[in-house]
Amino acid sequence: MEPKPRMLAILDVVTTLLFLTAVGMVFFYAPLEAIMGQVQRVFYFHVANAWVGMLGFMVAAIAGIAYLRKNDRKWDIVGLAAIEISFVFFLTAIISGSIWARGSWGTWWTWDPRLTTAAICELVYAAYFMLRQGIEDPDRRARFGAVYAILSFISVPLTFISIRIFRTIHPVIFGGAAASGSSFEMSPKMLQTFMFSLLTFSIIFIDLLWHRIRLGKLADETEALRLKTLQ
Amino acid sequence: MINTLILQAPAETTRYMIAGYSVIFGVMFLYIVSLIVRSRKLKQELETLKELEQENK
Repeated sequence: MEPKPRMLAILDVVTTLLFLTAVGMVFFYAPLEAIMGQVQRVFYFHVANAWVGMLGFMVAAIAGIAYLRKNDRKWDIVGLAAIEISFVFFLTAIISGSIWARGSWGTWWTWDPRLTTAAICELVYAAYFMLRQGIEDPDRRARFGAVYAILSFISVPLTFISIRIFRTIHPVIFGGAAASGSSFEMSPKMLQTFMFSLLTFSIIFIDLLWHRIRLGKLADETEALRLKTLQ
Repeated sequence: MINTLILQAPAETTRYMIAGYSVIFGVMFLYIVSLIVRSRKLKQELETLKELEQENK
């Protein structure tokens, strides 16, 4: 494995500092929401987690297209890395959203269009790992993985727009305050904390993606050597 | 007056906030640990495979 690049070490430090600042803003800078109370603070990282999920699924679809066009294994590593990270963050968004729902709606789960499409989206990407597990040939696995990553991306915009095209109790954060009765008004400090959290989680995604790609390369190298040793 | 004050007070939802952030921080921590553990295991396996390759030569 190549030694850790200096840029990655710097990015690790920057990411940690940004994360600590975001945590500080959530708990000490953002004001208490007047109706929901403390549980509203979950909103900042809940949305940021969902954002990372959708961002990574998009990166994986782009990597899938790149793999099919260039037939270069590095794009398969990028796609797998992006989906793995996004799967974890999107799952966290669903669970934290459920906890927020319990505190503000009084229920852990409801088959609301947003919650349903988000759950379907997560399950679609869970199947991606099963698909890869079932294929031994690395090139075939990469090709099938690329096609699946592209097709499954359909579930992402569907999840995003579900609260805009269906009647839902889920708040619409971007440009939907008037459309949704369940939205809440953000004060300037809340908005600053929210935007900073989104920025921080985008950087966290880049940092983790870089680490996961390095891990993927190492796994590829090990698998190649294992096959060579067995022959 | 009392009713108005009660209606205006934010809901007591601190435990849900704690639960929410426990999940968020906990999952992130576990994922980072899993990356470190997998990386260490792969490095060890790669070293072993390289030694085996050397012995076979």
